[in-house]
Order: sequence, then structure tokens, then C-alpha cells
Amino acid sequence: MVLRRLLACGLLGLAPSGEALAATLRGRVEVRLEPRAPLVRPAPQALATATARETPDRRRSVVYLERAPQGAFEEPERGRAVLDQRGEAFLPYVLSIGVGTTVEFTNSDSTFHNVFSLSKPRRFDLGRYARGQSKSVRFDRPGVVRVFCDIHSHMSAFILVFAHRFFAATDEAGGYRIEGLPPGAYSVAVWTDGQVRETRPVRIGEDAETVTADFVVE
Amino acid sequence: MKELRAAALLVALSLVPAAEAKEPLPTAPRLALGGEASLSYAPEDTGYFNDAAYGHNLTRLLRLDLLGSFRLAPGLEALFDLRSENLDSPQVYALYLRYRPFAPHELDLQAGRIPPVFGTFPRRRYAQENPLVSWPLVWQYLTTLRPDALPASADALLLVRGSGWRAPYPGYGAAAGVPTASAARWDTGVEARYANGPLELAVALTRGTLSDPRFEDSNDGKQLSARVGWQPLAGLGLGASIAEGEFLDAALPLPRGRYDQRAYGLDAELALGRVVFRAEAVYAEWDEPATGQPPIDRPLSARGYYLEGRWRFAPGWHVAARLDRLGFGDIRGSEGLEPWEAPVRRLEAGFGFVPRRHVLVKAVYQRNRRDYGFVQSQDLVAAQAVLWF
Repeated sequence: MVLRRLLACGLLGLAPSGEALAATLRGRVEVRLEPRAPLVRPAPQALATATARETPDRRRSVVYLERAPQGAFEEPERGRAVLDQRGEAFLPYVLSIGVGTTVEFTNSDSTFHNVFSLSKPRRFDLGRYARGQSKSVRFDRPGVVRVFCDIHSHMSAFILVFAHRFFAATDEAGGYRIEGLPPGAYSVAVWTDGQVRETRPVRIGEDAETVTADFVVE
Repeated sequence: MKELRAAALLVALSLVPAAEAKEPLPTAPRLALGGEASLSYAPEDTGYFNDAAYGHNLTRLLRLDLLGSFRLAPGLEALFDLRSENLDSPQVYALYLRYRPFAPHELDLQAGRIPPVFGTFPRRRYAQENPLVSWPLVWQYLTTLRPDALPASADALLLVRGSGWRAPYPGYGAAAGVPTASAARWDTGVEARYANGPLELAVALTRGTLSDPRFEDSNDGKQLSARVGWQPLAGLGLGASIAEGEFLDAALPLPRGRYDQRAYGLDAELALGRVVFRAEAVYAEWDEPATGQPPIDRPLSARGYYLEGRWRFAPGWHVAARLDRLGFGDIRGSEGLEPWEAPVRRLEAGFGFVPRRHVLVKAVYQRNRRDYGFVQSQDLVAAQAVLWF
């Protein structure tokens, strides 16, 4: 909620300018939350055992600056990203992108999927499409977009759309890396499984090349 | 001691690759629960066009379903659906074991109060999956036929046409008749389902019949039903079904012989992006013994079909319509050949809106027409709210 407000209402203000030496903020997010599988609705009306499903890794986090440096908004991302549907799951579970990014929703399952979102930053409904097909959506407004499948109610994912480029998703080991940070004082936030779990001030010194910030999410 | 254990763990973790040291991703829980609550409201349906089993009208109904599955062993699970309508005491709608003995081969065996294999609508009758409020006539509309009573003659059956919600049979009193095929109850027995690529075959042996699924048998006859499904293209599904089982209650004073219900069905579904079309046709016939004069001289038959379409025209919004007909075969009464029940036609159209996830609100207009009976036409507007988890 806090993130949504920050992203959507333009509170990502202007922090110190970035002409000086750019540094890297890196670290690790250790998630100690109880792991949980997606809630699957029982289907007594089905004639068959449910197919084996992928379990998306909900421990993946996104680390980002709450306030980005001046000039960070002048080069909007126009990139592409992929959110696959495989084993009746969205993979990855969380996708972090910049404003202007187009996301390809691929279908790698043998069954139909119907991706949709009712989130304010981007409402869409891609209709049903089959294996091997792909449909894309461009995200032009920052915010948190929850994505679902209309056919498989246990499928869900998050897309975090940022108005700046100072964000990173954690890798399998929890590591992250945000590059190109000018010296200054920032507030760094960690988002995990639907919530902002921690925000912490981080100072990048004038001659700093790498600054480390580790987080523990409990 | 604590430090020693921590050190040992550190050594152990350092000996395995990082990826393997990670906590494994969780698997689905053993017990899964779900639920659906739907509330429908419409002005009074004075023609009882939307009455279904248990004397409840689908346009004025509060329905609560509690769904569950419990994994007993790999490949073996127990499933149930407990349902209450208008806050009546809960009924066991489904309760069965499902077993997949040769995984990954898609052979499933099920035993108990099982989902029907005939046709498709009963397996998607849940309010969140139904784009409209009512059900197709062939799966819902109560005819004057009763498994627990015999009409005195062909004329007596013709006389009560259009009163299936409370069919009065001289000598047996008045009670609701049965639909051509019932989506309101599931049958009890065993079934097997096998799928291989685009083909699917399901076969069931059950106690009741298509129009009168039962928990306890009322006769010694069993019903054999089957459906073959074929998906020739992505988005296109076709199916053909057949069912035959003994219909009449063994307690009735019946002449010797079998009195069966036979049914044949075809179904199709076509999905094109945001549009889904579904169609189903059912032909059914029942053997009724000859009683008084004039006798019922041939099996009673019914043919029902519908075409349904849904278009999701915007995120969270859909429009839908269903064109529905249920006709009945002729019997010879004192005044010649006439359909033994009143043919019914229905058009239902409306829209649905998802204000938030797991909430669906629908509003429909329904136009009903019937050829006989006290009330032969009924137009109504109905609304339904559905919540599920």
C-alpha cells in the first residue's frame, strides 16, 4: 500500500543530483517468512486429478529507492520483459519493471490461460489463448499491478512498475544490485510477497564505489 | 552446546552448493478448502420456470457451498462439497475418493457421490462459472414426470402439463417432478476417466439416473453413463454422451419389465479470446408402463438444447446470453397426439461485473414462454451476487 502510494502519487521526489561518481548498492535479502504454497481451490466437480503445478518462489524480493536521484526520471525504460505461465503458475511470481516496459505474457502450458488485472495502474484482460501463444501489455503508469488467470484462480503474480530505474529483484540466493547511484542519502525499501517489509536510510559517500545493505525479512 | 550446534550447521551448509542449501519450495497443503456463496433475487417467479430440486427457485436463492479436498496419499484424495440452500441443513452434494493409480498416465478412478460424466453443465454449475443466473432448461426445468408415481393414463399426464414444480398424481399426491437431466444433485457410484492427448473418455456406473440422481437406490437397476470428449483444436472442445438406467421406483405397482431412462447428448465449447460459446443438446426418453385408458403408448421423450455466449468486453465486465429450448414428444390422448409436457422456451441475457477479486455481481433479463399450464409466460429481471474463496 505504501509502495503503491509512493509510486502512484509522485512522492518519488528528487534526491541529490547525480553528476558525481556513480556507486553500486548491493546486498542480500534474507527472507525468513514461513514458505507457503499457492492456495489451490478444491475442485470436486473435476473428473481428473489436478496436473502437477509449479510452485513460484514467493521469497523473491524487490529492493528499490523510495526517492530517486534527480534526472532518474528523464530516461524512461522502454524495455521488454516476460512473465511466463507454466505449470499453472506465473513465473516469476514478482516482476519489477520500469514505466514504459512491455510485458509478454507467454503460455507454456498445454491448457488455456486468461491473464487479467483489475489493478488501477493497468486494468487489462487478455482473453483466452493457447500454448505457444503470447500477448503483451505495456505499463505506462507506476504502481503495483496484481495479475491473475481467470481460468485458474490459484494463479497470481505481482508486477511492480517503477517511474525510475533504481530497483532490482533479488536472485535465487537473495542477492540484489542497483547500479549507477550518485552520492547522496536515500531511503531503500524491500518488498516481499505483497508488502513493503522494511525501509532503511542508506548514504552513498562522494568517493564510494560499492555500498552494501543487507536485509532480513521476518 | 548451542554454539556447537550452530557451528555444525554452518559447516554442513558450507559443504553443499548454495542452491541446494536453500529451503525447498512448499508443496500444496494436504487439506484445501474453498467456498462459494451466492445470493440471487428476482420478483416472484409465478410460473415456477426457475424451480429446481428441493423446491428452490434459482432466481430467489441463497446458496452456500463448502468445498474441500484432502490428500490421503500420493495420487489418492478425498473430495467433498457440502451445500446449504436458503439456510436449510447442509446436504452432501459431493463426497468421493479419487485415485490416480498409474501416474503420470491420466487414468482417474472415483467412487462415492461423484460428479456426473454426462454433458458438461453440471460440472460448471457453480455461480462463479455460470455467466448468467439461471441454468439451462434441460438441466433444471422440472417436468411432471416422477419416479415415485405413475400417471393414471395418458390423459391424466396431459392434464398436469406445465406443473412440474408440484405435479399432482391421483393416488400419489403432489410432489415435484424431475428435470430432464439434473444438475442440482450428483449420483452415487464409481467412475473412470482416461485422457490421452486431445481425447478423453469417462464412464460411470451409478445408482440413480440422469434425471433422478440418488444417494440411496430406489430400484435394483444401475445407470451406465459415458462421455467421449475430443479437442481437435486449441479452444474447441466437442463431446458426446450416453446414459441408460432404471428410472422408476421399485415400490410402484409395475408390470414386469424394465422402465429405463435413456439419454444422448452432444456438447461443444469454442473459446475465441474474450468470447466463449457453449452449446449442449440432450435427447432423453423414459419408459412408462401402460396403466389406465388411454395408455401411454410410447416412451416419453424430451429434447433440450441451448446456445450460450459470453463476451468479456472490458476488464472485469462481461455480457452473456443463453437461448434455450425444451421440447417434449407426443403421446396419444383422447384428443389425439399431443406433447406429454408443455414445451418451454427461454431467453436469458445480462451482464456481470467483478468489483474486486472473488466477487461477481450479475444482472439478467429472462423471458420464459410455455405452451400449456396456468402461467404460460413470465418475464423477469434477476440479480445475483457471488463471493468465493
